[in-house]
Amino acid sequence: MALALENVSKHFGSLVAIRNLSLSFDVGSIYSIIGPNGAGKSTVVNMIAGSYSVTSGTIRLGATALNQLPKHRIAQLGVSRTYQNLRLFDGMTVLENLEVCFFPQSWLTFLTGAKRLSKAERLEICHACLAEFHLSDVADVLAGDLPYGRQKILELARAFVTQAPIVLLDEPAAGLNHTETKDMAAMIAGLKREDRAIILVEHDMDMVMSISDRIDVLNYGELLCSGTPDLVRTNERVQEAYLGTTEELDDIRKLAQSRRAQGGLRANAGIVRH
Amino acid sequence: MGNSVIARRLGLLAVLALCVVLLALVPYLPSYYVRVVDSILIYIILAVGLNLVVGYAGLLDLGFIAFYAVGAYAYALLASGQFDIHLPFIVILFIGAAAGAIAGVLLGFPVLKLRGDYLAIVTLSFGEIIRIAINNADDLTNGPQGIAGLDRASLFGLPLTTPVHFYWLLLVLAIIVCGGVYYMERSILGKAWRALREDQDVVRGLGINTTTLKLLAFALSAAIGGAGGVIFGAFQRFVSPESFTFQESLLVVLIIIIGGVGNIVGVIAGAVVLVVLPEVLHFAAQYRLLIYGVVLVTVIVLRPGGLVSPRFNLGFIIRKVRTLWLSPSKT
Ligand SMILES: Nc1ncnc2c1ncn2[C@@H]1O[C@H](COP(=O)(O)OP(=O)(O)O)[C@@H](O)[C@H]1O
Ligand SMILES: [Mg+2]
Repeated sequence: MALALENVSKHFGSLVAIRNLSLSFDVGSIYSIIGPNGAGKSTVVNMIAGSYSVTSGTIRLGATALNQLPKHRIAQLGVSRTYQNLRLFDGMTVLENLEVCFFPQSWLTFLTGAKRLSKAERLEICHACLAEFHLSDVADVLAGDLPYGRQKILELARAFVTQAPIVLLDEPAAGLNHTETKDMAAMIAGLKREDRAIILVEHDMDMVMSISDRIDVLNYGELLCSGTPDLVRTNERVQEAYLGTTEELDDIRKLAQSRRAQGGLRANAGIVRH
Repeated sequence: MGNSVIARRLGLLAVLALCVVLLALVPYLPSYYVRVVDSILIYIILAVGLNLVVGYAGLLDLGFIAFYAVGAYAYALLASGQFDIHLPFIVILFIGAAAGAIAGVLLGFPVLKLRGDYLAIVTLSFGEIIRIAINNADDLTNGPQGIAGLDRASLFGLPLTTPVHFYWLLLVLAIIVCGGVYYMERSILGKAWRALREDQDVVRGLGINTTTLKLLAFALSAAIGGAGGVIFGAFQRFVSPESFTFQESLLVVLIIIIGGVGNIVGVIAGAVVLVVLPEVLHFAAQYRLLIYGVVLVTVIVLRPGGLVSPRFNLGFIIRKVRTLWLSPSKT
């Protein structure tokens, strides 16, 4: 199954957040979308998932045009996601956060029970998923009570538990410390599968460079460059647009260091370390 | 295992036995008290039903009493001389529930896109529209005079006429409704409702049609309201629009808020308090609304979550009883 954006644009009033973007993603790979803050990365994710309508253009999953469908239909077709800012069900337990993903998706399934997982099957899948994401010990803890790092992992687990073929991850490592980011990178790399496309929006360049099969660089809503990590790393336009001039580069480096010291957000400038 | 466990088990048995004895003694109370208990039970049924929408799905419905009216008028029209139709009570009970559910879906379709305050306002208006429509549909409902002389109900050959008869019926129904809602709360449907209450957009992102989910809550809760209305009609043997004013909707919402939103035990406590209080203070009958207001403000200031803590719910009680019985060493 392939996901394709064909000439997609998104305007917010007079602001053009995405301009004529065409990209395609096939199962079996990890794709990263990078670019400075405000480049339009989250907008792309939101359009694919149906949270934002597209202003023009088409988004297709296989032969189906997604951009006319309501959000829950898109999810049913196999697109799942995480959010840039955590959006767990805080008042529900970790296990319940996963269980609810298996709510019967149509009246027919709900009423007849056809194709519907039994409670035992559902719990088995969820427990297996918790084990895979090292969350078994907190299965019955309220999601809101978990430490931030584990909340991020739970949101990841929720995106994968239904085996969706298209998984969108919007900054899964935002706010994580160095070790946690490394673990997160390893975890995501381990989730790569033949029948699944992972589309990652991320600022941490170590992570992006190490696990991506292809990197798409956005700048002011336009595709600047697209290719393997090696290609992107050496691309001059990327260096310029993404990192600015050499003086700016120094500033960014400093900023990055101070942010890292605070354990805050990953800086945009992670790329300079390569 | 030891004396303390045995003592606690005995204590538990004593509590259970006490409950059963108290419930069994109600019929021997003077008629007035039986009526109060009946009233409590009706409001428990209504509030547990409305709680599906308010407490679980997180949608404030201020027109709930409309469904109660639909049920009551279903009985009035189908078991009286009005059109000389005399269906059996049990049949009308189901018709009333179904009519309530249909009314719930009809209300739900247009309004479920609304959120928060807007939803509250529209549902409030809906409640009033139903009441006014009943008031004006003279040919069908006799308008403000209401319909009197409704059939005496009977169930499986047993007469349903005295408050004691209705006590048993309401008790059974209240247990069924509480049990059913508790089961739903624990099912995946209940989890989806809770998730919906927390973040509707994320729920949609999980592939769940949130409109369906809300409609289901509306329909189920309205069905319970409709069934309650049928019993009310059969009990009073008289219906008129007066019984279904906004005040009644408000009372049911207050029961939920004062008892504890989303908590069956809380709702039961709320119903007891709000039904008994005006009876105790009946000398101040004209201040009824004022009393509700004072109680509401007091509860909100002192116990914002309601009288009963969210942790003290039916699940907690059942777990407690179970562990004490099966593996007392853990407690
Ligand atoms: N809902 C919205 N309304 C208005 N403007 C928005 C909205 N979402 C994003 N934008 C704008 O679109 C641009 C791209 O934003 P976004 O996709 O969030 O960037 P990022 O690449 O940092 O994820 C920004 O200028 C942002 O202000
Ligand atoms: Mg973003």
